[in-house]
Amino acid sequence: MSNPLLVVDDLHVDIHTSRGLLKAIRGVSFEVTAGEALGIVGESGSGKSITLKAILDLLPNNATITRGEIIVDGVNVLSLPASKRRTVLAKKFGIVFQDAISALNPVLSVGDQIMEVPRYRLGYSKDKAKAKALELMNLVGIPEAEKRLKSYPHQLSGGLRQRVAIALALAGEPKMLFCDEPTTALDVTIQAQVLRLLIDLRRREQMGLIFVTHDLAVINEVCESLQVMYGGRIVEKGSVQETYADPQHPYTFSLLKSVPDPDIPVERLFSIAGEAPDLTKPVAGCPFAPRCFAATSECQTTEPNLSRAGNGEAACLRIGSFKAGLTGIKGAGT
Amino acid sequence: MKIKNIGFWVGIAIFGTLVILAIFAPWITHQDPIAQDLVNTLLKPNSHHLLGTDQLGRDVLTRLIYGIRTDLVIGVLAVLFPFIFGTFLGLVTGWYGGWFDVLIMRIVDITIAFPFYVLAIALSLVFGAGAKAIIITITVVGWVAYCRIVRAGVLVTKELDYIHAAKLSGLPTFRILRRHVFPNVISQAIVFSMSDIVLSILAIVTLTFLGLGIPSPTPEWGLMIQEGQAYILQSWWIPFIPGFMVVIVGFSLSLIGDGFVRRFAK
Repeated sequence: MSNPLLVVDDLHVDIHTSRGLLKAIRGVSFEVTAGEALGIVGESGSGKSITLKAILDLLPNNATITRGEIIVDGVNVLSLPASKRRTVLAKKFGIVFQDAISALNPVLSVGDQIMEVPRYRLGYSKDKAKAKALELMNLVGIPEAEKRLKSYPHQLSGGLRQRVAIALALAGEPKMLFCDEPTTALDVTIQAQVLRLLIDLRRREQMGLIFVTHDLAVINEVCESLQVMYGGRIVEKGSVQETYADPQHPYTFSLLKSVPDPDIPVERLFSIAGEAPDLTKPVAGCPFAPRCFAATSECQTTEPNLSRAGNGEAACLRIGSFKAGLTGIKGAGT
Repeated sequence: MKIKNIGFWVGIAIFGTLVILAIFAPWITHQDPIAQDLVNTLLKPNSHHLLGTDQLGRDVLTRLIYGIRTDLVIGVLAVLFPFIFGTFLGLVTGWYGGWFDVLIMRIVDITIAFPFYVLAIALSLVFGAGAKAIIITITVVGWVAYCRIVRAGVLVTKELDYIHAAKLSGLPTFRILRRHVFPNVISQAIVFSMSDIVLSILAIVTLTFLGLGIPSPTPEWGLMIQEGQAYILQSWWIPFIPGFMVVIVGFSLSLIGDGFVRRFAK
């Protein structure tokens, strides 16, 4: 394995809200090597999108990184001045957003937007930038690229818009593409097409992916490694295959359990009771304990750290033993 | 399609007519707007003076047409300067935030809290009566609205994904502001400027009526209303018609503004 392209070490992010200080990220660490595809799963408020924004220096004004390091290709970006930081990030990373409508500037034509980075950052001539834009549009499978250059975002369908957004993200020739739920806003057939495109791009361009989503099936298709976030921390890390087959954390277990299996008829779908923790209040113990089927009194007071579990890692005091009590849960035990 | 925007085109037609009248004033009327004819004062409308003459024997129609020049030029300039100044400050404060934003916003609050006509009277004492003083006065007060409109737009726009994408793609900040932020926030300011021209023309007319604006004998609507009010019983049209013209200008610009709103809302 080569040196990691991205290292996130003990990242903490605070958000100042009207309800008080929200500790959105509380010590997140991970590494991604070039060419790897990492999926980050979690429900709303788990901190997955904030992690992504913190890495890419796109946090809103009311959010600050209070602790931790982000190292991109050996450079500690947080120690750099803002403009320098952006140059480093721009060279390595691209981003695709959930909502392709707001991901494109409504007043500029598609061609103008894709040509902008080649022209003004890579210093291409106008003709070369245009050729590059056409190449990118062909790469992401936009039919009649020449004609579409002059189209405006509102003239395109949702799927095409997302393809344009991907082309836009690729314009800076990134080593790694960050995807913030890029398929959530698309209907299922288009979703499949876009996923196939991303898998394809990865294979052809040897590009890494960080895929943030709450859709477990999507991760399964695109990524090989997985980390599960809950309450601003990573609760489980591992390979997608192994984690799906044998989850080491009760939260991951419950998440996988709540995906309905079309082959098994059930009366009631499995769901996780309760709601995500309020991070404006201090968290005592395991953040998942109030909703956990296997929680003990120790879980209410001691916050677990990531430790070895199976072939991956999990942050649970009852690793290995939580499944023992599962017989009481309906439909449990695969 | 055409029918939806009929108001817009009516507004353009009225306003366009006024602009043409102003540009070609010397060819439309051959009389001198300030030439006095003390023998023929306060004439009723007749074939030579279509709207009669005023107390100094000047042709009312001629003064009315030349008045378009005065009022529209000052009206537009008194919107252009605040527009440029306010938009610039709105972009900077909205984008960068921080202490500069706080400072400018407090200045905005103070400016809004200040009664406009009191400020106008004070400034006209400093700069003397006339077009310059009016433009300065309206600029000093008027930038506030553009600053707020543009700042609010920037605050919303800068959190949109395409701005995030542009930031991450490493484009220079100036370019992001110029190509991605500015075109997306300016439409509201343009729409507001249409109704603002009306307000500034109204302010010119009002200030002149109060004796703080354009000095006599310049053909100007506010001045015509002020000088004509003494004769309202015998020649009501002398003060009435310039006032009516203000209404017409306001009407046409409102229609244009509405049309813009509809176009941008598409």
